[in-house]
Amino acid sequence: MSELPAITEEELRRLCDFLYRRTGMVFTEAKRYYVERRVFERMAATGSGTFASYFARLRSDAEGEVEYFVNAFTVNETYFYREDHQLRCLTAELLADRLRLKGQEHAIRIWSVPCSTGEEPYSIAIWLLENWPMVDKYEIEIVGSDIDTGVLERARSGVFGKRALMRLSPYLVEKYFAPAGFETWKILDDLRNSVRFSRVNIVEPAETRPHGQFDVIFCRNVLIYFDDASRRVAAENLYENLAPGGYICLGHSESMSRITPLFEVRRFADAIVYQRTVGEPHG
Amino acid sequence: MAEEAKKRVMVVDDAALVRLYYRDTLEHAGFHVDEALNGLEALEKLLTAPVALLIVDINMPQMDGLTFVDAVRRREMPLASTPALITSTEGGAQDFAAARAAGANFYLVKPVTRERLLEVTAMLCGTAA
Repeated sequence: MSELPAITEEELRRLCDFLYRRTGMVFTEAKRYYVERRVFERMAATGSGTFASYFARLRSDAEGEVEYFVNAFTVNETYFYREDHQLRCLTAELLADRLRLKGQEHAIRIWSVPCSTGEEPYSIAIWLLENWPMVDKYEIEIVGSDIDTGVLERARSGVFGKRALMRLSPYLVEKYFAPAGFETWKILDDLRNSVRFSRVNIVEPAETRPHGQFDVIFCRNVLIYFDDASRRVAAENLYENLAPGGYICLGHSESMSRITPLFEVRRFADAIVYQRTVGEPHG
Repeated sequence: MAEEAKKRVMVVDDAALVRLYYRDTLEHAGFHVDEALNGLEALEKLLTAPVALLIVDINMPQMDGLTFVDAVRRREMPLASTPALITSTEGGAQDFAAARAAGANFYLVKPVTRERLLEVTAMLCGTAA
């Protein structure tokens, strides 16, 4: 293997700054190895001999390089029924609460963002079919969004490997998937059609707003990649995407209270979630 | 009607999750389930594959459930006599009357439990529950 070109401290800083401005994700010298691996990958893929030529390509967005670059930095490790205590909370508490508030309205909107390769939004659909006796009464709209267009394509295809399905019982796998090759399965078309996928950058209000207001948002393990400023922007955007009284579920190591006073923390039997208050926000 | 043909039903609903929920319930009990997303598609499918029962939502794009059932009743026999079960979120007296006027045989207000769906389907198909 030929020796990889070194990236100077200054170059790394400029690159991370570029990434931060585009996505809100924060990487520093401490993550040099992680960043370098991805930059070298993109340099090889684009045939850039030096960091300078790659960075020039990136900044001019030649052949859509920004998108490839951003895609390389997103983390897409997930599986079906991950953090299912939140799904239990969804059907045991959150939906009933939303319906009480909505009265006669027959639509429920759920947003999975970022949705990566689709495991989470599809899990929500399966969970509702299996555990929510009102599933035929309400018009349920499940939207999965991500900044990474590569994972969105995979999500739309609905094809999954063994690892993604490891937490589903064989009964559920047989019921909702069809074998599609060696240790791969394809999700049933009706399930695939029950989730809509879209691209979104959650620190960009111009991209989040058009998605409209949701009853419940699942936003897990993305805020941990942001710095305080982007976190606040993302939280404020998500707040706008919640219907008054709507709920947002974060990853188990994340806390909204640290980010913004906009939401009210609610403790249910299965999960801690954050709620957009029904009236005007306080603070 | 042969026992096999008695177990062929069509779910007409624009919501993929609802179709999946009904289909899963019915297939589990040995029914063969066709699907259509609206009345127009259902009418077309019925031309080539008649069924023993239509399970029809009311609010759908292109052609709603009641218009669809009414259209089926105007077709030639035996298609015109296909039993139709309406499933709807609306449960007022005027909704039942409208369904009856369109030619529906039975009406279930959503949410419909798996047990109730099977019970009514078996009854309308003339199969053992």
